[in-house]
Amino acid sequence: MQPAEERERLTRIQIDRSCRQTVVWYYASAVFWLLVGSALALIASIKLHTPEFLADWQWLTFGRVRPAHLAAMIYGWGSMAGVGTLLWLEARLTRNRLPFPVLLPATAVIWNLTVAFGVVAILAGYSTSIEWIEIPPATAVLFGFCIAVVIAASVRMFRTRESRHTYVSQWYLFGAIFWFPLLYVSAQIFLHTPAAKGAVKAAANWWFAHNVLGLWFTPIGLATVYYLIPKVIGRPVHSYHLSLLGFWTLAIFYNWAGTHHLIGGPLPAWLITVGIVGSVMMFVPVVTVAVNHHMTMVGNFHHLKYSPTLRFVVYGAMCYTAVSFQGSLQSLRTVNEISHFTHYTIAHAHLGVYAFFTMVMFGAMYYVTPRLLNTEWHSAGWIRLHFWTTAVGMAIYWLGLTWAGWEQGRMMNDPRVPFLDIVRYTVPWLWSRSAAGILMTAGHLSFAWLFWNMLRQRGAYLPGPTLLVREPGRAGAAAGGEG
Amino acid sequence: MAPFYIALWGLAAVLGATAVGGLVWSIRRGEFDNLREGAASIFDDEEPIGTVTDRFPGV
Repeated sequence: MQPAEERERLTRIQIDRSCRQTVVWYYASAVFWLLVGSALALIASIKLHTPEFLADWQWLTFGRVRPAHLAAMIYGWGSMAGVGTLLWLEARLTRNRLPFPVLLPATAVIWNLTVAFGVVAILAGYSTSIEWIEIPPATAVLFGFCIAVVIAASVRMFRTRESRHTYVSQWYLFGAIFWFPLLYVSAQIFLHTPAAKGAVKAAANWWFAHNVLGLWFTPIGLATVYYLIPKVIGRPVHSYHLSLLGFWTLAIFYNWAGTHHLIGGPLPAWLITVGIVGSVMMFVPVVTVAVNHHMTMVGNFHHLKYSPTLRFVVYGAMCYTAVSFQGSLQSLRTVNEISHFTHYTIAHAHLGVYAFFTMVMFGAMYYVTPRLLNTEWHSAGWIRLHFWTTAVGMAIYWLGLTWAGWEQGRMMNDPRVPFLDIVRYTVPWLWSRSAAGILMTAGHLSFAWLFWNMLRQRGAYLPGPTLLVREPGRAGAAAGGEG
Repeated sequence: MAPFYIALWGLAAVLGATAVGGLVWSIRRGEFDNLREGAASIFDDEEPIGTVTDRFPGV
């Protein structure tokens, strides 16, 4: 570890090259879990409107398939795409090589095995039945180990960083990587030991679940947006002051919001009110982030036509604003009275983990992977297909379930409406969700196809620093170096 | 009931304290002094401000 002033200045190519093994392993694993999670999602979705579907298989019963879908997506797709992106971003921001060239890729293998163990355990009937954390508690040790290695790598790169300045993305990433293990381990302790008893286990459950969104996925997503939008369009963030304000207010407010999931539940009213206040205060960081991203993009929206990364990232960033506004409003008791325990909540959840986080991760993977493998994506057509199927599919998903959920909630509050009538009302909307899910899965298959061809290096070879190099006589390469 | 609340609030306080501590540390180190330089810190000679760095393949 040489002091920052003395060591050689690494080129971007050297930094990216050092990330290759680890990040490609994490990304490839993430794509695998995306497909597994999508299959489980489709099965779960179809079962809700067509309960006879695969009804003879006990390991595919809805009560198991749905949490298996959650586990595959949260701990498989989301977390692995997130960790891969986090490590690459940190290498870039500190201008360091990624350390531990054997141990870090090994954590990807361990993480995969742990997720696989968890998903199989759920399907076999060993779900803990605690939402967002249905996987067996033994997994805490394995995830904890992997995260410890990632933390060690992060700290090591940070301590030998070249730049004296700490870019805003670095703050978000450090937040994520320190908060997540704290959350996960303490949640497992609260939920599976007498440290918390009875109804307060529910408070622990939702403190954990909400913070997985707010202190793990959201910071990684925002760190990615703050780095990629300026990098792609070649323009610094509009107001750096606002970006720092956004981070610090997120760090202060987000942690409190968890009990908004338990409005009306058997907990002290003040505990729930604290959660609502924290949720509404989130308007501050969300508005600062939205203004910042928008003002950075102003005058540059035409780049959306030419950059796949920008399309996914901007879609994601806009949906971050939308889902956060919706979330703050949903946490108010009067709104929650209608929306709670309905499909409205599911639409909201997917607006966050899919329309925001997943789309931003797609954008990141489109940017990062060519730079790791020195290969361009082999087909613009498949990329466009991926974007439009997922973008439109997500929109249909959200519109259908939001409408269904809101009506469902209003009718449930009306004692004159028979319960089964309400169930029947939602069925066509559940069909629309399956249709949306098929579109989105088609997009994921396109992405997997692209990724597979990328691993086989089927696209144009890209040796240049900005990776926009035209090689004469080679189909599919783009012009070099220009702005 | 009481030990759980102590643990939960204690954890929340620790998380909050780390956030405050981090803020104080960064102010002391001068992270807030030159914001323009901060925003430009992700650019350099290889990829200067004004360079677009992503495009559809084949375009």
